[in-house]
Amino acid sequence: MKKRGLILLVVPFLAIAFFVAPAHAVDSIVIGHPAALSGSYAKAGEQAVGGVQAAVDWVNSVYGGVNVGGKKVPLVYKYYDCESKKESVTSLLERLITTDKVTVTFAPYSSGLTLAGAPVAEKYGIVYMDHGGASDKIFTQGFEYVVQTIGPGSSYHVGTLEMVKKIAPDVKRVALAYEDSEFARSVMDGAEAKARELGFEVVFKRTYPMKVEDLTPLLSDLKASDPEIVIGGGHFQDGQLFNKQMADLDINVKLLSLIAAATLPAFGEALGDLAEGVMGPSHWEYGVTFSEEGAKAAGMTWIGPSQDEYVALFKKAVGKDMLPDYHAAEASAQVLALVLAVEKSDSVDSDVLRKTLGDLTFMSFYGGWDIDDTGKQIGHSMVNVQWQKGERKIIWPEDAQTAKPVFPKPDFE
Amino acid sequence: MMRPVRAYYPILPVLIGYGILFGIGQMVPGKWQLISQLAFFCALGQAFNLFMGMTGYVDFGYVAFLGVGTYGMAVSIYYLFDKGLGLTMIVIGMILAAVFSTLLSLAVGAVALRLRGAYFAIATIGVNEGFRFLIEGARIWNGSDGMIFSRHMKTAFGRETAMALSMKWADVIVFGVAFLAAVMTLLYMRNKVGYALTALREDEDAAKVMGINVTRYKLIAFITSAILAGLLGASAWALKLTYVYPTDVFAIHYTVEAIIIVLLGGAGTLLGPIVGGLIYGVSKYYLAIVLPGFQLMIFAPIIIMIIVLFPEGTVGILKKRVFGTPLEKFII
Repeated sequence: MKKRGLILLVVPFLAIAFFVAPAHAVDSIVIGHPAALSGSYAKAGEQAVGGVQAAVDWVNSVYGGVNVGGKKVPLVYKYYDCESKKESVTSLLERLITTDKVTVTFAPYSSGLTLAGAPVAEKYGIVYMDHGGASDKIFTQGFEYVVQTIGPGSSYHVGTLEMVKKIAPDVKRVALAYEDSEFARSVMDGAEAKARELGFEVVFKRTYPMKVEDLTPLLSDLKASDPEIVIGGGHFQDGQLFNKQMADLDINVKLLSLIAAATLPAFGEALGDLAEGVMGPSHWEYGVTFSEEGAKAAGMTWIGPSQDEYVALFKKAVGKDMLPDYHAAEASAQVLALVLAVEKSDSVDSDVLRKTLGDLTFMSFYGGWDIDDTGKQIGHSMVNVQWQKGERKIIWPEDAQTAKPVFPKPDFE
Repeated sequence: MMRPVRAYYPILPVLIGYGILFGIGQMVPGKWQLISQLAFFCALGQAFNLFMGMTGYVDFGYVAFLGVGTYGMAVSIYYLFDKGLGLTMIVIGMILAAVFSTLLSLAVGAVALRLRGAYFAIATIGVNEGFRFLIEGARIWNGSDGMIFSRHMKTAFGRETAMALSMKWADVIVFGVAFLAAVMTLLYMRNKVGYALTALREDEDAAKVMGINVTRYKLIAFITSAILAGLLGASAWALKLTYVYPTDVFAIHYTVEAIIIVLLGGAGTLLGPIVGGLIYGVSKYYLAIVLPGFQLMIFAPIIIMIIVLFPEGTVGILKKRVFGTPLEKFII
């Protein structure tokens, strides 16, 4: 009788506990990533994986884990190699979602591979964070779960033009000369729109083919348009050629900014004095001065390691003496956005997370983070790098600068 | 003359193979994308084998047919999405894919198929790059900007139907293309097209002397193989992924993958591309999971070893093993 009485007493409590307790207690937050570790985007993919791992290590060892459901849980990183191939992205992403039961997914590098995985993420209704797909068009497709950290292509030269507007308002004549690729064209369209918005006069606009070997005809026409500012480029090889042939043709302008070339150390090494004063926009560069104090002054939440702490964590994560570049930094910032979203919403539900990410604004070593209603990144400003006496200096925005801009650019000698 | 039905028995293992694959995809939760990837590799191998396996010619520009097929579907959806055509738009996309790949194969075949061996391979290697440059340079179909049409599909069909088309029906069409490629291969094997192709594969000069119009038969196989590739591009790349960039679809590594699949399975065999596609796809998938970033270091030597040790491919060996047994009539 006593036993039956005990059972009668305990069962209602167990039943209540069963219905009241959450169905799935959160033991960890798992990030699933079909990374591009081999194939065309292997270099960017290695940086991204190192960046995610470095941020995960910081969250677990320094930050103490992610605060959700009244306790701190670890962040777990699960990645596979999609070989930079679109077919592999879909199958590996599905495995991460259904077999590994990840909390959130990260897209592989590039706009194409990001687009390849988006329908799978949409099908399963899971947040899909984009650290390497810069195309603006990703965010006009009506995807509900895609959230961007990398700045969209259209924003690359926005800071460059704003800088000129501020420090030399009389300068008006802009020439645009970009490589004919989807990415460079989106940068060009963004630059043109911003130039017109700021009152610049676009005196030249043209593209050149990929893997171009001679830019002399294009640059001769460009010279005839008498620009004060030249912005353009596409990749490292054509950027280098662009700079060299501008010098050969003695085209001296007040500002020359080349995407995806001038920010690389190899650019200055290859061109020597010819690179002096040449600029380039980047999502992030080692040396930027975003800090907790800066975040406080801007009224923004700060999260994450300092830049030097981050570099040490990154080197440990990749297991070699390699500096992180912007591919790593944006992947890390994405992890920090996820941590803040989970903590703010106290949930790992995809719809709740997506909504919270939409309301989130913060700053980290990577800079600002904020997205619009479509999921597109609008809070991160590009930094502008300039070659000064053989060194890369960050000259814009002002709160990240390590040196004042040299303007106008010195003439080629 | 009607051939006896048993001449077509080899289609049974093909049907069973694809049936099992499809069944696993439908019944095991969370495996559909893997199965669709495997079906893509099988279809790619099957379509490529129809020309390479039967003629012995290696077309390095093969991916261009997948590329123009992808554009066929993309053009249909991108430009017709607001015309109220409904699913007819998908049919138009498939027709355009077939037309584009036929036209390209006619243009390439008319010139390149007059060449042999290495000369043919060199002539075709430029087709892929040339076509990509044409699209980018002449700004055809948005040039290098490509076409992204997820929004167009949602507008035309509604979110749910667009998702079903992209995540399920596109893959079902891939299965259909794979099976169609196998049927076409068997039909050719069992009629005079196949005999002519076998004759020219063994000795083209002798075939010519025997009065076979070798260019004509090569062109038939070339166009059939190209149309199948076009349909594959339209379904597996355009309808499924809802975007197309020239650099993504005119990528030569897909031709290399097709060659590997055919060699792994057995060139000129009917079952070979299925076996080759499964070996290739499953190994790639699991190595990418177990050894992310290092899988190619393991995978490449394994492929080289298999191809060196078993030049006839897995089905080639199997054919020898079952020779003289009741299974003989099923394995070709």
